[in-house]
Amino acid sequence: MRIPFEWLKDFVVIDIEPQELAKRLTMRGLEVESLEEYAPSFRNVVAGEIVSIDRHSKADNLSICTIDNGSSILPVVCGAKNISKGDKVPFAMIDARLADGAVIEKKELRGVTSFGMLCSERELGLSDDHSGIFILEDNAKLGEPLEHILGVSDVVFDISVPPNRGDCLSVYGIAREVGSILDQKIRILPFLLEAEETGNIADLISLDVFDLAACPRYVLKMIQGITIKKSPYWIRSRISKCGMRPINSIVDVTNYVMLEFGQPLHAFDYDRLRGNRIEVKLTHAPTVFRTLDGEDRMLALNDLLICDGVGPVAIAGIMGGENSEITEDTKNVALESAFFNPYFIRRTVRGLGIRSEASLRFEKGIDIDNVDFAGERAILLMHKLSGGKVVKGYREVYDKKELNRIFVSFGKINEILGTAIEQRDIVGALRSVDLHVMKEEESGFLVSIPPFRYDINEYIDIIEEIARIHGYEHIPATTPVTAVKTLKRDKKENQAGIAKDYFKSAGFNELINFAFFSVKDIENFFITSPDERASCVNIMNPISKDYEVMRTFIAAGVLKNIAYNLNRGAKSLRFFESGKVFYLNTEGLPVEYPAVCFAMTGREREYFWRDKYPEYDFFDIKGVLEGLVNCFGLDIHIEKSMEPFLNPNKSGDVFVNNEKAGWIGEIKAEVLKFYEIEQKVYCAELRFDVIWKMSRLNVQYTPIPKYPQVTRDFTFLIADKTPVSHIIEKIKGVSPLIIDVGVFDMFKKEVRSVSFRVVFQSFEDTLKDETVNALQDIIIKEVTNIDGVMLRG
Amino acid sequence: MDINALKGKIEQEISSVKNIEDLEKVRTLLLGRKGILSEYIDRIKTLDKEERKIFGREINLLKQWTEEKLREFKQFYEDEEKNRRELVTWIDISMPGKTPVTGKKHPITQTLEEIIKIFSTLGFSVAEGPDIESDYYNFEALNIPHDHPARDMQDTFYIKKGVVLRTHTSPVQIRVMESQLPPVKIIAPGAVYRCDSDVSHTPMFHQVEGLMVDRHVRFSDLKGILSIFIQEMFGSNTPLRFRPSYFPFTEPSAEVDIGCVICGGRGCRVCKDTGWLEILGSGMVHPQVFRIVGYDPEEVTGFAFGMGVERVAMIKFGIDDIRQFYYNDIRFLSQF
Repeated sequence: MRIPFEWLKDFVVIDIEPQELAKRLTMRGLEVESLEEYAPSFRNVVAGEIVSIDRHSKADNLSICTIDNGSSILPVVCGAKNISKGDKVPFAMIDARLADGAVIEKKELRGVTSFGMLCSERELGLSDDHSGIFILEDNAKLGEPLEHILGVSDVVFDISVPPNRGDCLSVYGIAREVGSILDQKIRILPFLLEAEETGNIADLISLDVFDLAACPRYVLKMIQGITIKKSPYWIRSRISKCGMRPINSIVDVTNYVMLEFGQPLHAFDYDRLRGNRIEVKLTHAPTVFRTLDGEDRMLALNDLLICDGVGPVAIAGIMGGENSEITEDTKNVALESAFFNPYFIRRTVRGLGIRSEASLRFEKGIDIDNVDFAGERAILLMHKLSGGKVVKGYREVYDKKELNRIFVSFGKINEILGTAIEQRDIVGALRSVDLHVMKEEESGFLVSIPPFRYDINEYIDIIEEIARIHGYEHIPATTPVTAVKTLKRDKKENQAGIAKDYFKSAGFNELINFAFFSVKDIENFFITSPDERASCVNIMNPISKDYEVMRTFIAAGVLKNIAYNLNRGAKSLRFFESGKVFYLNTEGLPVEYPAVCFAMTGREREYFWRDKYPEYDFFDIKGVLEGLVNCFGLDIHIEKSMEPFLNPNKSGDVFVNNEKAGWIGEIKAEVLKFYEIEQKVYCAELRFDVIWKMSRLNVQYTPIPKYPQVTRDFTFLIADKTPVSHIIEKIKGVSPLIIDVGVFDMFKKEVRSVSFRVVFQSFEDTLKDETVNALQDIIIKEVTNIDGVMLRG
Repeated sequence: MDINALKGKIEQEISSVKNIEDLEKVRTLLLGRKGILSEYIDRIKTLDKEERKIFGREINLLKQWTEEKLREFKQFYEDEEKNRRELVTWIDISMPGKTPVTGKKHPITQTLEEIIKIFSTLGFSVAEGPDIESDYYNFEALNIPHDHPARDMQDTFYIKKGVVLRTHTSPVQIRVMESQLPPVKIIAPGAVYRCDSDVSHTPMFHQVEGLMVDRHVRFSDLKGILSIFIQEMFGSNTPLRFRPSYFPFTEPSAEVDIGCVICGGRGCRVCKDTGWLEILGSGMVHPQVFRIVGYDPEEVTGFAFGMGVERVAMIKFGIDDIRQFYYNDIRFLSQF
């Protein structure tokens, strides 16, 4: 809400600078987001009166005006047509500066000396209007600087009003808070202007409200014989500063009073209302209605309408109809000031997707007590601006409710806030924002809640008001006095941390992607139903096609990140991402699981002057996987994979204790092509929940052996179809004295020649040669028993 | 015996030395058991007593002189040899070293871990909840009924009627309170979702929720705990302020601002000339929320708070565009 500082001063004496007031409003919960300064863009322009107008003898389109500026009478040559004798006008004297920077000088115009210039609004930087000289109001004091008369210098506060404080969506509402801050009484300047009254409203219009729940208060007032004009500058400038557009002297008043008191108003052209009546009722059937912006609106059931004797003339509280709006020719006005139930307004706003300054206020709730007062204010202002006669009396329907009362105990206030605020300060604080204490007792007090405070419904809301007015800065910072509770650290969170630390030390950078992707990503990976990764969770209102479903696996995002970085000059990348994946389970319900994906492409380093680095291959990613599961005290085994997006020769499914945990391998070139990646990518993705449930994180110490190890090397010729892992298992199975089996060489001529280093260790004594020799014989015998394995001679 | 002639001969021999091998030969020649000096010493015995005395002293001095001279030569050649060897094993220590290849955790993770660590030391434990959440936990139970204007504050992704992507981590509050009795002292980190995307919004971001419920938890305790957190996170001299705000599930509610780290509070573009940066929202748990989860607001009170992890990271690292976190550009990731 934009609030002009000068306007606030209509209601409250402000003896501090705008900047200081902004800070204090912010500390009251009305955050001032910015301050916009308004300064005159002219200098040395005063109010002058046109004493006489004479034709210029040598130029038909010019006239010679004599201007009284309060101290002297000076001739001014002028080309405008809209002026007449006695008008008060802005008089730019010699040396004056206008908005465009021009400086006024004494000037000869066809033989006549002009001692200044009369100005239009545009020339003064006040508006875009350049249709003629800006005519000032009659009460302008001659010689007074124009900026003082118009109040041009101002500061506009942009205040972020919390959604529960609809009462602060007006200058008056903010002034009430300012009054409380500065300990000043709020005053309402006398505006009860003298108005000639005529006729009786009872003879002109009737009012029926059919649904008191939707519209508990409706007031109609009328004015007759008005002339639609442009509003005076002070109205237009205030409306503009608040971010609205001036329109004419009737519509501007409705907006002005709304901004001033927070009561939205609607003016009907009385002569266009059919049947001399207003009915407030809910729609009973879908209806098409053209609003004043020229759009046809489709109204649903139970939208609240204002109707005349024939049909709708306005959507209550949201927007008027084209059929009854104020035009240049309007003579008689029926003014609506009403309270509409926020629930109905919000529903219709959502349904139609339109919002207005009026609906914004009705949605949050306005002051039902203020409805007639604001109407009165507006009709008198209309009379002042547009002339005419105010019609005597008003039409009203009012379903008045009792005020809410809340009891608060004194003890509770300081107990909850951790403060020691005195009783009388509490009562005073509440009174400063119109929360009146009805009954004060030893233990507590009863507060009556004015109807505009929708945010106050129970004792805690009163306590908040006290804290707010007392000032959060005066509440101490304390340490909680609380029962000691043992800490229960979340195991999952901890385990994700273990993996992240591992990847970091292994040279992998962590990625975080949005948890959504596109159905296209599933297709790119050739994943099809009934694979669970094809049954994705749809988002009803996605932000874009790229993010239309929840991701069912992480790898697609990782490939996008790889492509992004390769396109920007990177050659080698190691990435991991740990996060959730989402599927629909067999019952069609969304489920979510923790997962981890890691990928590598390129080589360990681009260069090091001493060493050479081969490109990554399958065994690099496999090693990373082995290292990862080791962190959780687990071993894995890998079996041939059927994953449709992996190179079948260089991939596998990953098993932990015979449960499938994920996949590993080289991504197929066809898949990489979809992501515009031209180099090999090795990748793995695991379901973390499978790893976590089997993890063995409790380390048990093994004594360090006192006796020396013995190592023996073996080289076998192994056929391609025989996996080396079988041989390792076989050797390990020979004796508990064998504590490690490694592969230290492999080369291939016709068959593979693989060399194993076997480590023997006894925990009881030094191993004798005979013992090791005997085991060696068994190893050779056992291993060569495997199909396709021979001892190399 | 001609001592001077002998000295001349010795000098001549020593001056012929060119390397360490020559030196050893000359040493043998001059000082060896059958060397020239020994020969002279042997001849001393043939002299009479007076002569022997004079001559013996001369010879002795000459022998000392020779030994000294040879020692100097030896030192010289040994130094020379050492220098030669050093030249062969020399390396250019200014050549680049081989840095181990390590990775980095994402700045969001680093920030999250730091937040968790600080609250852990304050006795908070970590709780988690689902990303796909029911309308009930995300809104209703947090005192945000269907018709409530606060729903407009958060643009919600819908999965289907009644199922949303959680718009905040606050539903974890409800889940925890439903499943355990007070006292409760938890933080809940995690991803949250809102359909919004620009320089300061991404459709997914991270929050950390905090909740403490017990007998006699006060608003001033919230101020105390959050003051400690801010000073741990941003430094003990960080100015902070609590100001009134509005959240449907807390009352009273407070927004916490820290002094702008960019301009030091003087006012700049980042803090919109206010000198303050909004860092988290907080408040006392609304009695209505307690009633919903079956706690008695007459028995217990509590506070809750929530902060955007990206926001904290942006302030901490001086990042001006939230989308940077999600491009996953290696040139960005490797900076932290």
